[in-house]
Amino acid sequence: MPSEGAAGCGRWSEMLESLLALGGLVLLRDSVEWEGRSFLKALIRKAALSGEQVRILGCEVSEEEFREGFDSDVNSRLVYHDLFRDPLNWSKTGEAPPGGPLGALRAMCKRTDPGPVTIAIDSLSWLLLRQPCTTVCQVLHALSHRTPCPGHSPAVEQVRVLGLLHEELHGPGPVGALSSLAQTEVTLGGTAGLDSAHIVFRRPRQRPTHQTQWFSILPDFSLDLQEGPRLECQPHPDPYTSPVDPTTHLTFNLRLSKKEKEARDGLTLPFQFSSEKQQALLRPGQGQAASHIFYEPDAYDDLDQEDPDDDLDV
Amino acid sequence: MAAVATCGAGAGGTESMAAATSKSNVTSFQRRGPRARGTDSGGPRLVSIAGTRPSVRNGQLLVSTGLPALDQLLGGGLAVGTVLLVEEDKYSIYSPLLFKYFLAEGIINGHTLLVASAKEDPADILQELPAPLLDDSCKKEFDEDVCNKKPESDIKMKIAWRYQLSPKMEVGPVTSSRFGHYYDVSKRIPRELIETSKWHGFFLPEKMSSADKVECCSLTPGYMKLLHFIQNIIYEEGFDGSNPQKKQRNILRIGIQSLGLPLWGDDVCCSENCDSSHSLSKFLYILRGLLRTSLSACIITMPTHLIQNKAIIARVTNLSDTVVALESFVGSERETNPLYKDYHGLIHIRQIPRLNNLICDESDVKDLAFKLKRKLFTIEAEWTVRERDREKGLSFVVGSPSNDRHGRCTTLI
Repeated sequence: MPSEGAAGCGRWSEMLESLLALGGLVLLRDSVEWEGRSFLKALIRKAALSGEQVRILGCEVSEEEFREGFDSDVNSRLVYHDLFRDPLNWSKTGEAPPGGPLGALRAMCKRTDPGPVTIAIDSLSWLLLRQPCTTVCQVLHALSHRTPCPGHSPAVEQVRVLGLLHEELHGPGPVGALSSLAQTEVTLGGTAGLDSAHIVFRRPRQRPTHQTQWFSILPDFSLDLQEGPRLECQPHPDPYTSPVDPTTHLTFNLRLSKKEKEARDGLTLPFQFSSEKQQALLRPGQGQAASHIFYEPDAYDDLDQEDPDDDLDV
Repeated sequence: MAAVATCGAGAGGTESMAAATSKSNVTSFQRRGPRARGTDSGGPRLVSIAGTRPSVRNGQLLVSTGLPALDQLLGGGLAVGTVLLVEEDKYSIYSPLLFKYFLAEGIINGHTLLVASAKEDPADILQELPAPLLDDSCKKEFDEDVCNKKPESDIKMKIAWRYQLSPKMEVGPVTSSRFGHYYDVSKRIPRELIETSKWHGFFLPEKMSSADKVECCSLTPGYMKLLHFIQNIIYEEGFDGSNPQKKQRNILRIGIQSLGLPLWGDDVCCSENCDSSHSLSKFLYILRGLLRTSLSACIITMPTHLIQNKAIIARVTNLSDTVVALESFVGSERETNPLYKDYHGLIHIRQIPRLNNLICDESDVKDLAFKLKRKLFTIEAEWTVRERDREKGLSFVVGSPSNDRHGRCTTLI
């Protein structure tokens, strides 16, 4: 049992690592049936446990509710920007950064220390409903493609943006626009009892790779990978196989033996102008039987040796 | 239209041009014998710009798109002063390649480049251009590819001898061609070539400061800035003939990547009834005006699969001159179709312009497919049955229906 557990832990950790490794925007698409906040929290937990800074822009749930379930060392690494309590800054305490939620995101972009950083947005749908889609896309692009600050090492710092998107709230336009920006796209779904994540990795200048993982989330927001459900679907007939061999029952011979091939190659074709034909045309009748025309006149034929034009006075 | 020289009527003018552009020997007119020097000085001299050639049909000045196969499909090349619109494929894997081929061709020919993007830094785009294949090595590369694929293509066609004379699509390199070059996609262009070339970059996030939010004349600020930038470059460097240049005239190659993305500030991809629905059309209209009055050619890639309003796609197509669409098989059901297993996608030539002409140079071949090999991007004609049969998985049927035990593939519904 412990070995299985260890293997299971290894696998889920690999999967989350692969999601986080690519950098850029990781888009989590969830729906009413398959909610994505637990998956987001699992990713945040993984990032925090590997020692990174995690900054969270919380808009949809309160901070207490979001931090619930994380253990203390994870919680200590999370920097939470709360937009839920007072989104329009009516209390004017001076805590909220200027520029609204997008200003808060831009501030996150600038303020961070060197080292890989993860920014989690809960949720992108909240932002899309209040800000124009183009501005959100521009800010996300600026976040994920942050140019390194001049004082630091020239290596590009890993910035990861985890965005939760409730895809049922938006039309195909914003969802398509955000997908085109994302480096990794995770669509949550599943069947009864089991959750699945359909992951599309869009590495730059390479073909996208797809992967489907079945998992369940434990109470401490660690992931447990499962085998998929037994597939009981009928094997649908593959429409593209052609079981019929079209070379059977032919009226001509497709396979020639060597002798037949030689004989075929030796033939001169009627329209080919070879030297033999040239000779035959230049010297007609030499060595060739002259062709004869055999004509049997019918009863109705009128063989008149006279030239009909003789009557004409020409 | 920017005319570089006045042509004499018909064949005479073209022959003198063929004589003058001594670098290019791909035209169909060949000089018969040595001409006396006196006759050349009679007509107007053609100023030949590197990397251009006149079209054999109407003398229009053409530049190469970087892919000789695509040049052939577009009737010889891209006309100077026009826009080539490339509709991106779904995951944007192959359209950046066409973009890079265009820019690499500019560098090889010594043209000035202007690269505009909202997504990637132009300097990064230029680092990733493909390396050119030089004349002596490219024949070797091709022999490797061709020999593995079709060993029996060397046998002369014996029965269908008439078809030996019909034009074939050129897959291999034309020896010592100065017009279209071949590139090796697996290698990067040498740094010194980029450093010696002249280029201007426009990276939108750098040019837009958050301070100016001026909306003027319903054109998105990003587009307005780009148009100003292009206009400045054209004027300052004399591509529109405004400053008489002492040095040789040159072509400006403009490349705009992923126009229409929300990153440009345009919400044409986000909603169907967008506020700035005319922004993109205005941009293309003004851009075309700038191009027509200067010695420049432009390539624009646009993610039309993201545009929600189909009427805008139609408008954009009408406002561009040449339109090429790429459709990749990745993620679609055609990926597993055995009929398409040799190819990576289809390429559709949606529009070819009629410039100073009543007809355009359409190619006869309509079914075109592309494949990205390890080093090359090839475009081939796809000789298959009609689209309807493809979807049903029918292939060529040989044999009598009555003997067919399965009886499946003989009825066309």
